[in-house]
Amino acid sequence: MMNRFNHLPTLKIDTSDKIPFTYKGKTYYGTKGDTIATALYANGVRIYARSLKYHRPRGLYSMDGECSNTMMEVNGIPNVRTETTFLKPGMVVKEQNVKGSAENDFLGFIDKMDWAMPAGFYYDTMHKPAKIWPVAMKQIRKAAGIGKLSPDHHMPGKYDEIFPTCDVCVIGGGPAGMTAALAAAQKGLRVILMEARPWLGGHFEYRTSEYIDRQTHHERAVQLAKEVEKTENIRLFTHTANVGAYNNNLITGFQIGKESDVFTERYIEIRANSVVVATGCIERPLLFENNERPGVMQAGCALRLANTYGMLPGKTAVFSIGHDLGLETAVSLHDLGMSVPVIADIREDGQDPALLKAVLDRKITILKGWVATEAHGGKQVKKVTVKSVDATVSKTYDCDVLVASAGFTPLTGPLVVNQAKLTYDNHTNFFLPTDLPKKMYAAGRLLGFENAKSIEASGHLAGLKAAYGCENCSIADLGEAKKAMENLPGPARGTKLVTAPVKGRKTFICFDEDTSIKNIKQSIDKGFDVPELIKRFSGAGLGPGQGGIPGHNLPLFTAKYQALPDIKIRPTTVRPPLVPTLIATYAGTNHTMFKRTPMDEMQRKDGGIFRNIGVWQRARYFSKDFTCKAEIENVRNNVGMLDGSTLGKFRIHGPDALNALQRVYVSDLSKIKEGRVKYTAMCNDDGCVIDDGVVVKLGENDYYFSTSTGRAGQTIEWIRYHTRYDNWNFALVNLTDAMGVINLSGPNARKVLEKVVDIDVSNEGFGFSEYKEFTIADTIPVKAMRLGFVGELSYELHVPASYMKTLWLMLNEAGKEFKIQNFGVEAQNVLRMEKCHVILGQESEQRTNLLDIGMGFLWSRKKTGYKTVGVAALAQAENDNTRLKLVGLKMENNGRAPKDGALIVDDRVRGHVCTARNSFSLNEAVGMALVEGDMSKIGTRLAFYEDECKGELIYGTVVETPFYDPEGKRMKM
Amino acid sequence: MKDIKRYSAVEFKATPLKNENRGNWDVVLEYHGEGEGPWLVDLSHRTRLDLQCADLAAKKPFGITIPETPCRSVLEKGILVNRMNRIQTSIYHLGGETMDIPKEKEYTDVTEATIFVAIFGNNVFSICEKLSALDFAGADQQTPFLFQGPFSHVPCQIVTLSRDAEKSGVVLTCSRGYGKHMIDGILHAGEEFGLTPAGEARFTSWINNL
Amino acid sequence: MALTITCPICGKRNGYEFRYGGEEKGPRPDEKDLTPESWCDYVHMNKCVAGVQQEWWFHRDGCGSWFTIFRDTTTNLEKETPEAKE
Repeated sequence: MMNRFNHLPTLKIDTSDKIPFTYKGKTYYGTKGDTIATALYANGVRIYARSLKYHRPRGLYSMDGECSNTMMEVNGIPNVRTETTFLKPGMVVKEQNVKGSAENDFLGFIDKMDWAMPAGFYYDTMHKPAKIWPVAMKQIRKAAGIGKLSPDHHMPGKYDEIFPTCDVCVIGGGPAGMTAALAAAQKGLRVILMEARPWLGGHFEYRTSEYIDRQTHHERAVQLAKEVEKTENIRLFTHTANVGAYNNNLITGFQIGKESDVFTERYIEIRANSVVVATGCIERPLLFENNERPGVMQAGCALRLANTYGMLPGKTAVFSIGHDLGLETAVSLHDLGMSVPVIADIREDGQDPALLKAVLDRKITILKGWVATEAHGGKQVKKVTVKSVDATVSKTYDCDVLVASAGFTPLTGPLVVNQAKLTYDNHTNFFLPTDLPKKMYAAGRLLGFENAKSIEASGHLAGLKAAYGCENCSIADLGEAKKAMENLPGPARGTKLVTAPVKGRKTFICFDEDTSIKNIKQSIDKGFDVPELIKRFSGAGLGPGQGGIPGHNLPLFTAKYQALPDIKIRPTTVRPPLVPTLIATYAGTNHTMFKRTPMDEMQRKDGGIFRNIGVWQRARYFSKDFTCKAEIENVRNNVGMLDGSTLGKFRIHGPDALNALQRVYVSDLSKIKEGRVKYTAMCNDDGCVIDDGVVVKLGENDYYFSTSTGRAGQTIEWIRYHTRYDNWNFALVNLTDAMGVINLSGPNARKVLEKVVDIDVSNEGFGFSEYKEFTIADTIPVKAMRLGFVGELSYELHVPASYMKTLWLMLNEAGKEFKIQNFGVEAQNVLRMEKCHVILGQESEQRTNLLDIGMGFLWSRKKTGYKTVGVAALAQAENDNTRLKLVGLKMENNGRAPKDGALIVDDRVRGHVCTARNSFSLNEAVGMALVEGDMSKIGTRLAFYEDECKGELIYGTVVETPFYDPEGKRMKM
Repeated sequence: MKDIKRYSAVEFKATPLKNENRGNWDVVLEYHGEGEGPWLVDLSHRTRLDLQCADLAAKKPFGITIPETPCRSVLEKGILVNRMNRIQTSIYHLGGETMDIPKEKEYTDVTEATIFVAIFGNNVFSICEKLSALDFAGADQQTPFLFQGPFSHVPCQIVTLSRDAEKSGVVLTCSRGYGKHMIDGILHAGEEFGLTPAGEARFTSWINNL
Repeated sequence: MALTITCPICGKRNGYEFRYGGEEKGPRPDEKDLTPESWCDYVHMNKCVAGVQQEWWFHRDGCGSWFTIFRDTTTNLEKETPEAKE
């Protein structure tokens, strides 16, 4: 393990605190503050992985996770970005996509086969003949793809979520972001500052060069950070990557938890009034032969290895750069003890004179207008060839590190995903954001500023603009900030060089997908002439790093190769998440949110098997016998108790209450008498039946009505929608959760009920279709209805939810001698099916109207003047014979019931089964089906085609309905 | 018929220290180990009313003038009146023994339709922020004010009674059916801040000190 | 996630809290003189403008009001009036 610096002010490591971890089965030690990648580097690891296609060795390149080079399996989780993931004690780290090891990969030979795999290779070859694909696919899958995860993998860790609101959200905690946040905060606004790295400071943070008046950039970063931290109205989220930006400034991100945090990662969704984007730049990769050979790295990576993580990247570094940060890095690394034999600077001129002097003072050779053209060395850089940009002169240098960087690329992601446009700027050589979204402002280095003062001033201005967007800043203040900018240097000139003078066979524009310059040329030659198409055909930018590496080089090269007069070509579209995000993080806390009925606890104790049905958790079965034989027979022979609490229940009152009901229900409700229950239905404007339920009149313009479980959530919305132009005065109160419902059904139901209540429940005293209100024990108020959904003597008791448990216990106690038992939703389903009572959504689908399911009798044709929803369409459909009809069916030769949803076929599909079961009450299989009109005649033979039946049809016949107790004596007894 | 009891959909795992029977509800006044707050108190036994009519200006529930502006609330004599929209007002009974429900038809007793809890003490809004995107700290709001919106993904009424440091707190109603999962969600979100179930006495002293 | 809607009662909220109620088409036609065609037109024919349209929304997770807004269908942003230009 190499010695680490421990004296630099910029260090983020604590060399006294060693952290053990396992790599390839052996124990290594990192240092507190290390990322996994830096810990490995400190232990001499240079090859982190093999590339996707050619199995080329790959190493540390950018330090910010823009490519898959350093993705590894950590603690069983694949594709962990080791550059940005902190090392923790005991981590088990493995390399990915290797046969053997990253050092010695048996598939390394594929690199020499690139001639056989041009761009679009798979598209061109693997489909001819078609038979080859399944075979080829298996082999390709084995060799390619990164990371392995079992389908039942459970993500360890704690995931959280948070939804803050602020006036101004600043994305990026560098100098521009910090000054923007401070400017907005000084206006008294609530500011959120989010920074992807674990600390503030951006590109100032790791630089020891002079900022101004002998203060270093690092010191300035610390100074600003302190100011931000002590400002109360700035809320700081560090280690928080921005992943999305949407309309109306909704900003999303995720934060990596510290040890003291209660979360591993948390999803953050910020609603901001204004947004400042100060995300800065990454480096634009330099394109030359073997430009991704381990040992080749960007300037910021080399500098941060030294200044942040306390180690030199190697012994001897050659530089091939195109910006002053490159010169600064050379000087810094030289001063820390690295040998720097040469700097090839793409630029002929324009260098910062002070930096040039520093370079020359150190006797470092600088070649202006030169560039690296090839890195040599099988697995790591050993030698570099540099040439003049016109390729006329060439030199070779020995080295173990090649710092290579063509220029900068602005991180415009947050702006672009929120619909800003990118326009090529000739001066900065950047694709700069234009047409910024409303109240979104850009600042800092991403606009091309390189001068430190300019960067801060642009942040200040953007912060004030954001405050202005919140109506919290004067025009005068803005003017002053703009003026301050005018006296400072503007955006710096950017380098234009895209590729070194090479043929490009091993010059990689995209590392993740092993896309070379040659592949791009092949794509363009085949007619894929814009980046969006080239990306799909060649794969450039499709990998885990997306546009991180090829983002801006691709459009620049595309324009150059086609000799386009000006660069109108755009980079490929950027989409959220801007940084790869765990699905577990998006899921957040993921609280279970279902409704439970007031009888929930009692039913669970009684062995209820629950299912999530819509928004509710309901007891579907009460035994493992999912045919529910015992439950069904007990209702038919004794008495059962069903939890019907999920039914929608409403009160409607006010002068126009009846009008509103008449508008949505197809029946004429003006005729309901108090004390009676009216069964009716609602249709939509197409006459399709959407809901059924009962209406009870409580008083003049005062009604209590029920809806089906699934419609309860939409009922108020529906009634208000269809009366929205009428200015009617009525009130709707949702009592769905207020009232629990027990359905007491079976021939013994009366005997049970009369033990509990004081009123007369005889058939004369409380007849079928009647409604009663009474109290139990002078305390529990009950709304009771005599209905017959399951086809037996049946009482539906609506009781305030808090009393349900008490009533349930009472009925259980009273019913013991009559063999009372629970029955669940499935038993009810079979019971009512035997009686051919429909459940909407089961016997109907979206296109089924009231007439189709034989419920036309509910429609009061004489009721006019109410513009009742659906009746216009019903009138039109009345004589339409082509519609599906609901029929009863019985299976032939005592056969089993078809599955629900089975198709009814002859030479084509003629209908489908709604519900069918083997009926214990009838000793045969029966059901209901929707069939085309001409097949609805009694006696029609039906053929059923089931899922996976392999062509084996089963047969049944259309029969009279209902199947059970056709005279309806039992429910009226 | 000896054991006629009313049960709240809210159940805490904490052990009651003091409780009383009030109108068949078993009301816990204090739990063991209530700690330093923030607290979560079940108020589901307290009466809630729905008042709906076209002319709310003409109504004076319990002598209280209903706020004119929707989403504004008023707390008087232990009764919280929340203007929900043009025609609708919700009324929560927060203090005092019982509440006589007005006989007029425009009132509906909706006590049973929801669970009713109070969350108050330090860091209340940090807990809320984990469950809802609603902006409890917005400068344009004056307490008490009503939010009608999603909290832990289900529609709720949330009234912020105070934003005054350790006195901060909200009362919240949501459909009774969501009771268990809502409480699970709130307690989970509040865990890091030490959110603890507390009895009604804790709530009463908070309300009395507002 | 992207859509926000300004409810006249509750203010600006996440679009997920609302349900869409279609284009503003005026009140239901009279039952008299209603032809199948005119009925079908009322129910099913929409303008589908690429631009600003008036449309209905219901604050499902909030105050329970139906109201209309003007929305630019090309940007998903609300406008104050049908003519409003950015």
